[in-house]
Amino acid sequence: MTTITYPLSRIEGHARVVIDIHDNEVFRADFQAMEMRGFSHYVRGVPAEQITVIVPRICGVCSTAHQVASVKALEDIFGVTPPPLAQDIREVLLLGQLVQNQATSLFIFTMPDRANASSLFELSRSEAGNPREFSLAQMALKIRKIGTDLISLAGGQFIHPIKTAIGGVKSGIPRAKADQMILTIKELLPVAAEMVDTYWDMSMEMVDRIGSWGDDEPTHYLASTGANEYRLNSQRLRVMLPDGTEAPSFDPHEFEAYLHVAESEYSYAGVSSYMGQILRANSLARINLAQSLGTPLADAYLKRFVQTFGKPAHAIMFFDLCRGIELVYALEKARQMLECDLEHGEIEVPYTPRDGTGYGLVEAPRGPLIHRYEVEDGLIKSADFVIPTVHNMLAIRRALTVVARRYVSQDGISAELERAVGRVVRAFDPCIACATK
Amino acid sequence: METPKDLPKFGVLQLSGCSGCEVSLLNSDEWISNFQLVYMPLVVTSNKIPEDVEVLLVTGGVRTDEDIHNLRKGRSRTKKLIAVGTCALSGGVAQFKDNHIARESFLKASHRLRMPDMLPNAYPIDRFVDVDLYLPGCPPTPELFMTALKDPENAKIASIVCQECGRQKLNDMRPTSITDARSGVVLPDICLVNQGYICVGTSTRGGCGALCTRPGHACVGCRGPANSYLNKEPRFVLDNLHRVFSRMTDIPAEEIDAALESPWLSLFLGQFTDYTQETNLPPRTKEKML
Repeated sequence: MTTITYPLSRIEGHARVVIDIHDNEVFRADFQAMEMRGFSHYVRGVPAEQITVIVPRICGVCSTAHQVASVKALEDIFGVTPPPLAQDIREVLLLGQLVQNQATSLFIFTMPDRANASSLFELSRSEAGNPREFSLAQMALKIRKIGTDLISLAGGQFIHPIKTAIGGVKSGIPRAKADQMILTIKELLPVAAEMVDTYWDMSMEMVDRIGSWGDDEPTHYLASTGANEYRLNSQRLRVMLPDGTEAPSFDPHEFEAYLHVAESEYSYAGVSSYMGQILRANSLARINLAQSLGTPLADAYLKRFVQTFGKPAHAIMFFDLCRGIELVYALEKARQMLECDLEHGEIEVPYTPRDGTGYGLVEAPRGPLIHRYEVEDGLIKSADFVIPTVHNMLAIRRALTVVARRYVSQDGISAELERAVGRVVRAFDPCIACATK
Repeated sequence: METPKDLPKFGVLQLSGCSGCEVSLLNSDEWISNFQLVYMPLVVTSNKIPEDVEVLLVTGGVRTDEDIHNLRKGRSRTKKLIAVGTCALSGGVAQFKDNHIARESFLKASHRLRMPDMLPNAYPIDRFVDVDLYLPGCPPTPELFMTALKDPENAKIASIVCQECGRQKLNDMRPTSITDARSGVVLPDICLVNQGYICVGTSTRGGCGALCTRPGHACVGCRGPANSYLNKEPRFVLDNLHRVFSRMTDIPAEEIDAALESPWLSLFLGQFTDYTQETNLPPRTKEKML
């Protein structure tokens, strides 16, 4: 038996792919998280209302999603419903997170794979003769920065945001700042669309070269965004079966009946399934479960995707293309929402702390995120974080096995395997810090 | 124009952390034209730290045996090593201090086959290697990253957050109880302490541009203690904060002390604590602090 280990870069956190090969046959492929954050252990005993400052530190990339999920879980325990204006401001915050994340995954993590470059910065330098005002890298970071600025605007801080509070939000979004942001989005939306088009073209060329979008068997899909309303500050979980039909939706309180979570022997991240079936979350799941996104440009991109690849679409690297659609959507939607008055009106309601168990759901960029807390005497007795990357773990393993079999034959191991492994893992955009909460 | 090859080479070594420091670095694009990024697994395909790095930024705390190995290798391959963020300076939120219940539960859950071993604590990096410069913050702002890379020797860092805050301290506004962060309405332009908020900006080093307190969020102290409290027991910081609150407010002493001991503040106020208890380590001097 030969074991090949590939350490992975251009993903969040420390992870590796391990492939066991026996007689030129792939025996097993695994994706292993190499670190453990362990927050579910050390938040025990913390005063419940302080949890919202501590848990964003699970992950600097996904801090916004963790903050909102923790606030919603405490609201569930305290029996308080934030006013609609606060819900909208939280949505802007989560849209900012989606812009930041999808821009990072598309341009920094995966675009270099399309050109066999080691990084966006190298790719950008090799393009130096291109008569553009800004380099690819500068454009990518500018688009990404819109996400960061939206998080600052709606969250009060560009990372580990602070404005979302139990009962609502601490302050609205002043008109002048909203207008400034709208101008930036107006200016950069065409740039983002151009980058997404470039990405689409580069992906097509890559697939011509390697001959596959990453085939794998269809799976179940999990998302908490709607069919016609793509709300990230979400309420219920939806599941699509491999044939494209939809199973009954469920509430975060009921998640344990549908999502089975288990630890792994060889990885610090666990795995989850939909009642024993392999699951996929993240962009492709949301797009498969959507009829319309509700913004013009994104809907045009959605239409092109569905016409080209069908619905539901299953190949692995469609995750990347769907991120492009979502980047455009999030920019358009944020602009639409900022046109509304997010400054005046009721932004928070009073509450009385009490003990109990509560659940908070948001659609994070990587899929549905649930926080569950049990509060006793005002302190956290137990905490559980149901992480989108964990939903994808079994799907990643199977996709890696498929790709390994493609590149390991009687003639030996193809040099393409290492690149292929990177493309598969990055398509799922795993977050190791979150997955090892 | 300089070719990329002439630009100084820098790398980012990430130990056990949240990637938030990297996210902050990526919020600046200024470095693209001034530096050559040769190692940063988050954004560059790179399994090995090159031999000739000018500056290596280290983020995250030392959590696993592999972190120790990578950190020592990184030190040997760079001229200058900068410790970045709360975790690299103190171990960060992942350190347990005296929370033995959490440590036991964590270590019990952390046994895996063929995986790096978890250490009983998360340690600051200068417990294992020499550090040339410290850049505290959770995370440090993109501007501070640029200062650290470009010209840290001549940087003028505000000694405390108040210097950059711009809120006015009033003599005749003395709250009698702590304002609950969840119910208070923040008045513009007036010091948050005058308004009864537990803001620790008076003891926290500046340089962040007071980006929390200016819009009205109390400082939680993520940049760590100001120079006068470096290498001192955390009680000196707490004592100072206590004095500030007794001078500026009529809040009962016990109420102040209880509030200052809250877990979210201890995340940061105690970030040099483990360090000061390590008597065999050289002190972190203010010249090395950004």
